[in-house]
Amino acid sequence: MRPAPLDRKLGRDLWRMKWQALAIALLIACGVSVAVMSFSAQAALAEAQRAFYAQTRFADAFAQAKRAPRSVVRDLAGVDGVVAVDARAAESGLMDVPGLARPALARLISLPDDPAACLNCIRLVQGRLPDPQRLDEAVALSTFMQAARVRLGDRLTATIGGRSVSFRIVGAVLSPEFVYVPAPESFMPDDAHQGVLWAPRAAVERAAGMNGAFSAVAFRLASGASTSTVLADIDRILAPYGGRAAYARKDQPSHAFLTAELKELSTSASVLPPIFLIVAAALVHLVVTRLVEAEREQIGLLKAFGYRDRDVALIYVRLAGAIGLLGALGGGLVGGALGAAIVDLYREYFRFPVLSVQFSWPAFAVAVVVSVLAAMAGSLSAVARAVALSPAVAMQPPRPAAYRVGVLDRLLKGPAVDQGTRMIVRSLERFPARALFTALGLACGLSLLVGAQFLFDSLERVVDQTYYRTQRWSDSLGFAEPRHIAAVREVARRPGVFAAEPTRVVAARLKAGGRMETTRILGLDEAASLHRPLDGKGAPVPFEGRGLVLSEALATRLALRPGMPVWVEVLDGRGPSAELPITGLARDYSGFAAYISRRELNRLMGEGDLASGAELLVAPDARPAFYRAIEATPQIVGASSRDDTVANWRQVMAKSFRTTIAFYVGFAGAVAFGVAYNMCRITLSERSRDLATLRVLGFGQATCAYILVGELAILALLAIPPGALGGYALAHGLVAAYSRDEVRLPAVIGAQSYGAAIAAYLVAVALAAILVARRIWGFDLVTVLKTRE
Amino acid sequence: MPDAKPVRTAPALVIRDLCKVYETEAGQVHALRGVDLRIGPGETLVLLGPSGSGKSTLLNILGGLDSPSSGSARFHDFELNGATAAALTLYRRRSVGFVFQFFNLVPSLTARENVALITEIADDPLSPEEALARVGLADRMDHFPAQLSGGQQQRVAVARAIAKRPELLLCDEPTGSLDSESGVQVLEAIAEVARDVGATTLIVSHNAGIAAMADRVIRFRDGRITDVAANAGKIAPREMSW
Repeated sequence: MRPAPLDRKLGRDLWRMKWQALAIALLIACGVSVAVMSFSAQAALAEAQRAFYAQTRFADAFAQAKRAPRSVVRDLAGVDGVVAVDARAAESGLMDVPGLARPALARLISLPDDPAACLNCIRLVQGRLPDPQRLDEAVALSTFMQAARVRLGDRLTATIGGRSVSFRIVGAVLSPEFVYVPAPESFMPDDAHQGVLWAPRAAVERAAGMNGAFSAVAFRLASGASTSTVLADIDRILAPYGGRAAYARKDQPSHAFLTAELKELSTSASVLPPIFLIVAAALVHLVVTRLVEAEREQIGLLKAFGYRDRDVALIYVRLAGAIGLLGALGGGLVGGALGAAIVDLYREYFRFPVLSVQFSWPAFAVAVVVSVLAAMAGSLSAVARAVALSPAVAMQPPRPAAYRVGVLDRLLKGPAVDQGTRMIVRSLERFPARALFTALGLACGLSLLVGAQFLFDSLERVVDQTYYRTQRWSDSLGFAEPRHIAAVREVARRPGVFAAEPTRVVAARLKAGGRMETTRILGLDEAASLHRPLDGKGAPVPFEGRGLVLSEALATRLALRPGMPVWVEVLDGRGPSAELPITGLARDYSGFAAYISRRELNRLMGEGDLASGAELLVAPDARPAFYRAIEATPQIVGASSRDDTVANWRQVMAKSFRTTIAFYVGFAGAVAFGVAYNMCRITLSERSRDLATLRVLGFGQATCAYILVGELAILALLAIPPGALGGYALAHGLVAAYSRDEVRLPAVIGAQSYGAAIAAYLVAVALAAILVARRIWGFDLVTVLKTRE
Repeated sequence: MPDAKPVRTAPALVIRDLCKVYETEAGQVHALRGVDLRIGPGETLVLLGPSGSGKSTLLNILGGLDSPSSGSARFHDFELNGATAAALTLYRRRSVGFVFQFFNLVPSLTARENVALITEIADDPLSPEEALARVGLADRMDHFPAQLSGGQQQRVAVARAIAKRPELLLCDEPTGSLDSESGVQVLEAIAEVARDVGATTLIVSHNAGIAAMADRVIRFRDGRITDVAANAGKIAPREMSW
């Protein structure tokens, strides 16, 4: 059956305006692809998480103790709301890994006694489990093995609790507790230095000196159990055994990071697509309005032939809908591919046995419907105009567009202004709504470009503030137990150490006004220069007596201001409690730190001049010797290096953020291009007769091109200030979207980023202008003179 | 083929064996099939003929808007056949004035500014005010095209065409979109100002009634000149009837 004439008209109209339609469809495709990509990646991640947690029986709550006898397990199992308990011996230390300059952290965890009843079970992905009869076999976290190039059969030697222990690695495993392994005091992964080993209980108990005792325990809770009550009960039971605050699954580091990532995907999917759809709808409005104007005689003719208003309306509504559909289908395809690419990227950071690509059909279906409706909505006012045209009026030649001398025009009086410039200015004044739409669309494109740069600048600021201003050490060390200050002086004598300053860290609960946060309090010497809290202006915040200096984020959470008191319950040592004043606020971008004078902290703890670690300045060329020296020091159980951490940041940024930002820059460029191209095509369609007349009258192509693109150029320049402001606002919005407990991003955009964004924006606009303006060179001068406007 | 009647002075335009063939999907269309014509300076010609007879094609070629397939069209020393696009643009700018059937005014410019479009790029133009005064629109200078009648719009177009004092004035159906009253006014304006600036004028029309204002009347059919008639009793447009 042949299609009806109006269907053929629809098809041919679409074909005739294919480049304009494609430019709009491109914007819709960008929006749809972000939604489909985000929801598909989210579905993939959520499914992998669900399956892995179910297989490995990931726990609902966690607690640590120094050394609790196994008999306590029965008490823990008796807590109301607890349905399963899995207690393990676990201890940390440093491990020498061949090929790594800096020693890796070694977390040694005992294998479950009963694999069938375990919580946080491991999953073997290579090799075999250790022989329970052997005390020198272990399995290791697969991510660590890959990053540190450890192979099956290799022997690793760690210093655990002051004892040197050696294991042959017989298998590689994955664990639900270590899906994502952030480095200590950072949120970036550092897989090579995050060793996790599982060995038979007897081996771990012997290494950790923990016969018949456990130090890590996981719980499965009954559904409906009050988590906070259960955690309080657990804390009470474990307190005599050096228990540290129990925490729920939501605070488990790997799980928390994964949750934040899932939330971030939802945010991306809800923030960006509407921007694209709104701009696309505005473009549909401009394009269809012009089309109705150009086709008024045809509309009159159709009505004169007896077509109903509805038939006429449907021509343009369907045209808009077809553009929406085209964009949505393209967006679905691209979004599916991008989703797969993101999942590929996730495979590097999130270690699941199975992380398979998904396509979110529900997201796609919703995106199709919303895109088609948005495009149709964009066409409605033009359609109303088409419906309102009476056939007799529509078939008459239109009067020339009515222009008048406007405000801007009056400013341009004088011989210096040529007629071409007058044409440009009058067109802007004649169609203010179109000029506004276009400028806003262009500003949106620029805002997206500026906003996309923000992640880079923001992360740079975080790195700078954290690792070069607040913390100025090159290396830090942690002791297994707080030690006398003499230990720090001892460390200061190691090779290459220029300076060493002691630190004292305790875990604590801070309570104020019914709010509570569990955090760590960092004690620093008053004269410390390698680490000092800084205020919003970058000036060091001094310690005043027993006063606490809180990170701004922590103060906000607890609704505290300087001068107010906070109740502190220390969770380490004897667990003293005290009310301390807040004497200052520090601006930092990660974690929820509280600072105090180390002397006052030791006094609060009722202990002597103790340090739980040291922060050092180490000569770069002396590092290997320094690391060899600390590996041999049994009391040192943690070592981190600023350079390694920052290098890691940069590597992760290079891999993931650059990819994300490349998408955004491409999308934002598409917005600027799409708006500019359509604006230019509409001007061309309106002006082609004028321009051809000018060509006939002896004007060159370049002059005509100036008149054609001059309007766009003015609007593009006018759109820069609001676009830049919009970008700043978008950056603020993205701060909320991308900030997590681990890192709060400041809304910073550097001058260089503004410059890069504006340059990219101008390139996109210029490209669109050139593509349209080159049509002037192909004008058929004879035809245009023979056609009535 | 009837040859053009020789004129006494050195001709402004010499056209020899001019052919124009359009390649279309349906095959070749011969728009001009060997046209020969000599046109003297200041002469007024009316070109008559049915649609598709070739008169507009000839006008387009003489205006530098189209190029011939073969033959020669020479304006003084300037050969139009084979001239570059830039040379033709300069030719149009310096020597040719156009009046179109549909006026082709720029709607966003006032009458004065439409004329100024030309005076800004011409070498020795009339002022826009003078050009408009000559077509009787001194009191409509600051009106936009939308505020003018069809006849007034076409007179603005005539003012625009003659403001540069063109040597060649080409008018394609200048009264085609006008009622007879407006048409007469426009033709009067053309005749008067062409005479004043001494322009060689070619007027293409379907309307045999306007032949009376020409020095010579050229009739076209099927791409050929079928008749060239000198007009002994040339009369002013206001005395014509059609």
